[in-house]
Amino acid sequence: MKKIAWVAFFIFAASCLSCANTGGIYQPASYSFTIQIPAGWRKIDNNRYLFVTKESPFLQYVMVQNRPISRSFRNTEKKLKTDMLPEEAAQIIVDEIASDQNILNFAVLDNMPAAIQGHDGFKILFTYNDQKGSKFKTLYYGFIKEDTFFNLRFTAADQVYFQKDIETFKRMLNSFQVIKAKAA
Amino acid sequence: MTTWLSKFFILLFFLLPLGLTTGCATPPGSNASLVSEKILANEDEIMLWQKSEEEQRVLESTGFIYPNPELEDYLNMIIAKLQPQSMPADLKIRVKVIKSVYLNAFAYPNGVVYIHTGLLARMDNEAQLAAVLAHEMIHCTQRHALRVFRRFKDRRSFLTTVQQTLMANKGLQELARNLGFTGSLAAVSGYTRELEKEADRLGIDLMIKAGYAPKEALVLFDYLVTEIEREGLEEPFFFGSHPKVRERINNLQNLPDDRYAVRRPATKNSKTFLKKIEKVILDNAGQDLRIGRFQAARRGVEKYLRINPDDTRAYFMLGEIYRQRGQPDDARKAIKFYNQAIFLDPTYADPHKAIGVIHYKKGHRALAKKYFELSLQLSPDSPDKAYIQAYLKQCAQNGEG
Repeated sequence: MKKIAWVAFFIFAASCLSCANTGGIYQPASYSFTIQIPAGWRKIDNNRYLFVTKESPFLQYVMVQNRPISRSFRNTEKKLKTDMLPEEAAQIIVDEIASDQNILNFAVLDNMPAAIQGHDGFKILFTYNDQKGSKFKTLYYGFIKEDTFFNLRFTAADQVYFQKDIETFKRMLNSFQVIKAKAA
Repeated sequence: MTTWLSKFFILLFFLLPLGLTTGCATPPGSNASLVSEKILANEDEIMLWQKSEEEQRVLESTGFIYPNPELEDYLNMIIAKLQPQSMPADLKIRVKVIKSVYLNAFAYPNGVVYIHTGLLARMDNEAQLAAVLAHEMIHCTQRHALRVFRRFKDRRSFLTTVQQTLMANKGLQELARNLGFTGSLAAVSGYTRELEKEADRLGIDLMIKAGYAPKEALVLFDYLVTEIEREGLEEPFFFGSHPKVRERINNLQNLPDDRYAVRRPATKNSKTFLKKIEKVILDNAGQDLRIGRFQAARRGVEKYLRINPDDTRAYFMLGEIYRQRGQPDDARKAIKFYNQAIFLDPTYADPHKAIGVIHYKKGHRALAKKYFELSLQLSPDSPDKAYIQAYLKQCAQNGEG
């Protein structure tokens, strides 16, 4: 996750001067979803995930991804399957994150079923520290549709940024639409 | 063997003989005495120790250490038993445990030995542990790192290769970033063949002097090689590498028989050892399960159950291994172990819920409902409560209400 933030940070920094603040419905060519980008937030689209931040990836970001369920995870050899219950998929995500050695003091605050625009899925709320000791909080939604795992997560530096931008993330979540189950 | 591993060994094949072998200060077969001169005599050795300390600070600040002071005390007690009389005062050997399922132990030149939970969990007795610790101690007392360091021409290229090797493994990316030159040398490639041979030979001497059964070294390495072969493990570290472990076996088998002739009854200390590491075994199995190494996890739990045959958590974990693996017939096996856990502790909620999930997925909603309800009765504030309630709601909608 730290890696994602760093990659995003460099792309973000490089593109900051030229890119205007975005807003409106975004339909990336390589994805099978549409989503509303909040006004004033900047997006980075690298074909593997859509990354959106307002100030800096180290303060807050939203990441949206549709990945083939066959794609391997970095830290666990477990694989998602089409017939998995949302809880089983959530367990793999928790195991993947808990096995990430970048992440310290990982703690799941909540793990429950959630409907994401009519799709049966899960939501996990967790906190962790990065290697430098900074604390982050993430709200992670996910669901499996056919051979694709869709996930949307909001990560913010501790409580202040989390509270400040959580409503924006929920609006993004509500605007999320699957248009076809084709994984990026 | 995968491509990266092949490339790694090809590169090592060319690098090590060129850079290192000619630099071995100890002629093969010589009976080298343990270090008697004052250690840290030279600038480059001081620098090597400083580098080691820096690497260790990073390693230990990033959550890799398995926090168990009682276990560390036990390991350091074995180190004290193995310690040669001629140890220089400057060199203090101490052991720390790293949370990693991969098979390894390695020593920094300043005397800090790290052993992975994965390797500890595979051992059966104190003599086997002593074999590994003694081998690592010899690397320190014989200053193997310094000898290699002085001859190594292209450290950067070596480090890059090692890091690429580690990066290709699940869960090792961060460790790869944190291991510097000395750590990579000690943990991944090992030293030259001759220096490793010396560590094998002198390590056995330390074991014998401390009263341990030297044959246990062979038993351990035989077991590791069998497991690596049987489970097709492709691990990047020294003690998880098939050729390296095979080399340990060959070296030990080639020792003259009189080396193994122990005059007094030799110690194995199986019972004490297994009691001391039982938590490591179960924790390591849990980590294996988490990263999806189901077979290794199963072996770990089965070993734990041989020490604690009535442990309900262990039976539940066996059930979890089969349920999560999800191969044909695994659901039946999982239910068998969940039932065993329930038999031992009928108030244990987790296996009830897990059986419910299996029935739920098979469409046996009435049975599922029974188990979910029982699970909620036993643990009304379960962290899984929201999922269980959702399953029950679904069962009710399907006419099982």
